[in-house]
Amino acid sequence: MQGEIRLEELTKQFAGVVAVDAIDLQMPPGEFFTLLGPSGCGKTTTLRMIAGFERPTSGRILLDGGDVAQVPPHRRNVNTVFQSYALFPHLDVAGNVAFGLKYRRVTKAEQRKMVVEVLERVQLGGFEHRKPAQLSGGQQQRVALARALVLTPRVLLLDEPLGALDARLRKDLQVELKALQVDIGVTFVFVTHDQEEALTMSDRIAVMRSGRVEQVASPREMYDEPATEFVADFLGVSNLLPAEAAGRDGDCCVLRLGESTLLAARGATGSRGPVKAMIRPERIGIEPHGSAGENRLPGLVERVVFLGGSSELHVRVVGGSVLKATVVSGDGEAAGLSRGAAVSLHLPREALRVLVPDSAQEAESAAAAAERPVRTAPSM
Amino acid sequence: MSGRWTWRLLSLPGVGWLSVFFLVAFYAVLCVAFGNQDTLSQPVPFWNPLDWNVGYVLDVLRNIWHGGQYLTVLLRTLAFVAIAMALALLVGYPVAYFTARHAGRFRGLVLLGLIVPFWINYLMRMLAWINLLSPDGWGTRVLHDLGIERLFLWLGLLSTRGGWLDGQEATVVIALVYGYIPFLILPLYAALDRIDQRQIEAARDLGASPLSAFLRVTLPLSMPGILAGSVLVALPMFGDYYTPDLVSASTRTNMIGNQIDEFTRQGSEKVTGAVLTLLLALILLALMFYYLRSTRRAAAEHAA
Amino acid sequence: MIAWVRNPWGRPRWLAVVTAAYVLWSIVPVGIAILFAFNAGRSRTTWQGFSFHWFTGSTGSVLHDPALQSALEHTLLLAGLCVAISTPIGVALGLGLQRWRGPGGGTVNTLMLLPLVTPEIVMGVALLLLFLRVFPGIGLGTPAQVIGQVTFTLSYVVVMVRGRLASIGREYEEAAADLGAPPHDQLLRVLLPLLAPAIIASAAVAFALSLDDFVVTQYLSSDASTTTVPMLLYASARGAPTPALNAIATVALVITLATLTLAFLVYRRFAGGREAVELASLEV
Repeated sequence: MQGEIRLEELTKQFAGVVAVDAIDLQMPPGEFFTLLGPSGCGKTTTLRMIAGFERPTSGRILLDGGDVAQVPPHRRNVNTVFQSYALFPHLDVAGNVAFGLKYRRVTKAEQRKMVVEVLERVQLGGFEHRKPAQLSGGQQQRVALARALVLTPRVLLLDEPLGALDARLRKDLQVELKALQVDIGVTFVFVTHDQEEALTMSDRIAVMRSGRVEQVASPREMYDEPATEFVADFLGVSNLLPAEAAGRDGDCCVLRLGESTLLAARGATGSRGPVKAMIRPERIGIEPHGSAGENRLPGLVERVVFLGGSSELHVRVVGGSVLKATVVSGDGEAAGLSRGAAVSLHLPREALRVLVPDSAQEAESAAAAAERPVRTAPSM
Repeated sequence: MSGRWTWRLLSLPGVGWLSVFFLVAFYAVLCVAFGNQDTLSQPVPFWNPLDWNVGYVLDVLRNIWHGGQYLTVLLRTLAFVAIAMALALLVGYPVAYFTARHAGRFRGLVLLGLIVPFWINYLMRMLAWINLLSPDGWGTRVLHDLGIERLFLWLGLLSTRGGWLDGQEATVVIALVYGYIPFLILPLYAALDRIDQRQIEAARDLGASPLSAFLRVTLPLSMPGILAGSVLVALPMFGDYYTPDLVSASTRTNMIGNQIDEFTRQGSEKVTGAVLTLLLALILLALMFYYLRSTRRAAAEHAA
Repeated sequence: MIAWVRNPWGRPRWLAVVTAAYVLWSIVPVGIAILFAFNAGRSRTTWQGFSFHWFTGSTGSVLHDPALQSALEHTLLLAGLCVAISTPIGVALGLGLQRWRGPGGGTVNTLMLLPLVTPEIVMGVALLLLFLRVFPGIGLGTPAQVIGQVTFTLSYVVVMVRGRLASIGREYEEAAADLGAPPHDQLLRVLLPLLAPAIIASAAVAFALSLDDFVVTQYLSSDASTTTVPMLLYASARGAPTPALNAIATVALVITLATLTLAFLVYRRFAGGREAVELASLEV
């Protein structure tokens, strides 16, 4: 079990502010694990606690079964790639990369060999004698990587390492990083606020918000089956329709939206009361106005946003909400629609997911904790 | 965790040094001021506060209360410093303003011109003026030729022709300005430099004339810098004794610093000298703490 | 000319005039004093021709007058000792203060800042009484002068070191720790090399401050052998000295400016222009 991290009830308080609120996380060995969330959600603090730069207020950090929460950073076999790389300006590339080897009782000759090897691996062969100031952003980032990897850590922590790079370089490095991780097999714990990045690179994502973990799942799962409104909204584009849940019909939830009735097959289908119905833009079918059938909503096209390979139609439906639907360019009739057109949107029941709104969620869990009789049985 | 104590340990020599050679030194002043004088006119400090002798302190306070020489000296010092500060601000602010906002590509050069006097030995700068203002000096000749000498004579700021260095208050004040103004201009420059150009542009955009934008935006924003710089300069100026000593041979222009110097270093009234020092320190204490607090606040805002 | 000054569209020209006038007023008198150091005759007010006489001449010059030489030597001795003592203590205190955790930091910080805002005469009297009554064993003289100078230059070193530390930030130490360096190695292998320009610069500043110091040095001097160049200038200024006085003042000035220029360049090479200017104007 090399490189497994478990966080148990990990909490960090700063002068009255709870940055990380008793979270439990398991990061399996050899995986590319991402901590995703908006700024201030506690993801960086969590990472720093794993690295050892912040001492947890309470809780345990288990690295391969051993609690390292009280171990100082220089004694953990965990290495970090910093957001600003933190390359030592007074040492050249080789000096930077070899820095940590001094504490490993490796001979000078072996050190040199290891430095050359790892630099080759990150495609910086021959850069040994350059100074950090002479390198580009992408090159500096690779040196930072090399410096950490040469120490063969069990876990590599990356704190928004691609944040300072321009979009093009970012995309290239995302692919490279992922390939590197697969190749080496070290557990990567990656922190970012960029959901696209998270979706592209991760084996597993943990979405954090206000110090808590909202959901942990693989990218596909998280995209298709977000557990909460926040997660649905944070990853990808989502449509969230406020509706009234009126109980079950078979294994679907009956949703009332004004005068329309929709059936939703996913999510908290047993709910009652105000909920949000979520559907991804690419799952919405666009049909001519007046078409009949289950889960059809009439609406008016308000805007067409051209995105190159596709367009996003903003359609105002009954009840006042605006739904975004994706139309692939050149896709027959739907592609030719313009502002003002009347359409009918098909929201297939398999693509419609019932999400309990946050406040109701908390109220429900509070009610459950107080063991008051509840009208419906919530399930996620 | 060992970390905490490493840093405190590192601080120890410095703290120890300052405690002994600064704090204890001040305590010595207190103990001498509240002490006594032995038969050889040497000061005898009373180390135990309970033994303190208020005799000398009361003498000085009585002297001040009844309008004696100490009051005169204090008031004169106050007047000199106030006028010198006003003049320094009058000259220094425009210079700082120009350097911060309008110097363009000459900024480096001008800054050099502002910084160099800062580092020239104060005494050498005074020496230069003594040379120039001596009866046969170039400066005296130029001032005479430009008619400035006549103006000063007429205004009563000069007693005799060519007698610039002859116990003239005006000379002392101008010498103070000359000596201390570099210490004022640089903080002023820094404060003005920090003002965001865009705020001024916004004011102009909203209809303010250049003068109005200056009065309503730049000036208020630079006020903390003005205050901080003024305090930074006023503090040493209050304790100055060498400037009057150099440019005026007479006790007519004595500042409180001169008085203290005469009693303490030159003469044998060290106890009275200590009392006066204490008095000076107390008067300036308010200013000192104001400055410390404002820099701490500025540093906190800077870091935020 | 008036039209040029009153240009309504350009930047206010009169400001440029005032500034130029100020800079000239500020520097020209000193320039003249330096000029007269090269005067061939004895006068300090009438130009009598160019000569190096007062610097290197056989009599009464900086090189050959025992009083002048002794003053110069003593000044340099004090400056050297002052730097040697206040730089290490100051760097240590700067590090300690910047990384201080827990209570007490504010008090120590205030203590450190106090010498910077204390008028020199107050310090002079305090130190005088200290060495007369508290440490009569040390008494007045060279040791006292060194101690007095260190006491007020210490704060300058601390402030500059802290400034540099603040801009370095904690990241490099964290990176070093992350890579396995224990705390003392973080200091030695990473922090101190990064701090080097500030250390050199503050040593230079301490040197210059000591060289130019007058009040404290005068108060703690014992006899003629503990006279420094500033004290000499003070004592002789109103007498009828020769241009040798100008000469020695020029020598001291050159040493000071050279040291500071060096420090400024070193700092700028490693830290950046803006910080170097702030350093030069000693932002507290």
